[in-house]
Amino acid sequence: MTSCAELNRRQVMIMGTAMGAALGVSPLLGTAAAAQSSTAAARADTAESDRIAADFIGAADAVSEGLALDLPALGDNPSAVPVRVHVTEAITDDSWCEELIVLAERNPMPLACRFRFSQASGAADVAVRLRLIETMHVRALARMKDGRVFDTRGQITVAAGGCGL
Amino acid sequence: MANPPRIWLSNETPAKDEIVRVRAQVVHIMESGLRLDAAGAPIPRDTLTRFEARLGETLVLDWLPETAISQNPYIEFTFKARESAVLKMTWTDQHGVLAEAGRQITLS
Repeated sequence: MTSCAELNRRQVMIMGTAMGAALGVSPLLGTAAAAQSSTAAARADTAESDRIAADFIGAADAVSEGLALDLPALGDNPSAVPVRVHVTEAITDDSWCEELIVLAERNPMPLACRFRFSQASGAADVAVRLRLIETMHVRALARMKDGRVFDTRGQITVAAGGCGL
Repeated sequence: MANPPRIWLSNETPAKDEIVRVRAQVVHIMESGLRLDAAGAPIPRDTLTRFEARLGETLVLDWLPETAISQNPYIEFTFKARESAVLKMTWTDQHGVLAEAGRQITLS
């Protein structure tokens, strides 16, 4: 299904380029198009993402609560998808989030970013913009000071893919 | 600097222990290292590697972006205003410090 969609997109792009040439579009535009070409390919599975998550979890038992992941239903601009992650329980001087990671599961490099907080932070609420190569799950994991690990994921549909990667 | 970071703070004069929200964006190409130039040669990776926010000398956020972060990286975070101090933000890429900015936080 996925590879089929990918193939169609490539075919459309090739057709577009051929049509551009046939219509005598400026060669400069052709050069610009070539400069956009990329070796980036969506991952066929989430193995690499799962490996990074397993490294993060370590010996802890990850629970699928405690962490809220806000994603738009549709990422109409796949080169900047707004993602917000925050720990839902109260952050106090005795219980705070030490580290948080965001994974774009099927991106060529699934680890999107890592956050580190301290007792001084007094909060664990962050938002960034991701570029996603195709429709996928975004996963977030957070480790609390007492060793508990929160794990959550959300599906996001993107309108097109590979932009900017 | 030609393109200073854009910064928004929810409150520069918070009450003690109030949560302050920060939105900041810096100009950076975030070249993934996966793209090819016109000749088909790979364009070397050039990404933001670190963002740090400190209230005074105390680290409140350390962010390590990778290739999945968008161009002109945007970061939004919150922190607890424990003291009056300068909120100092530093963006670093693989060539060194890209941008620095500070905002005075004064407890009301």
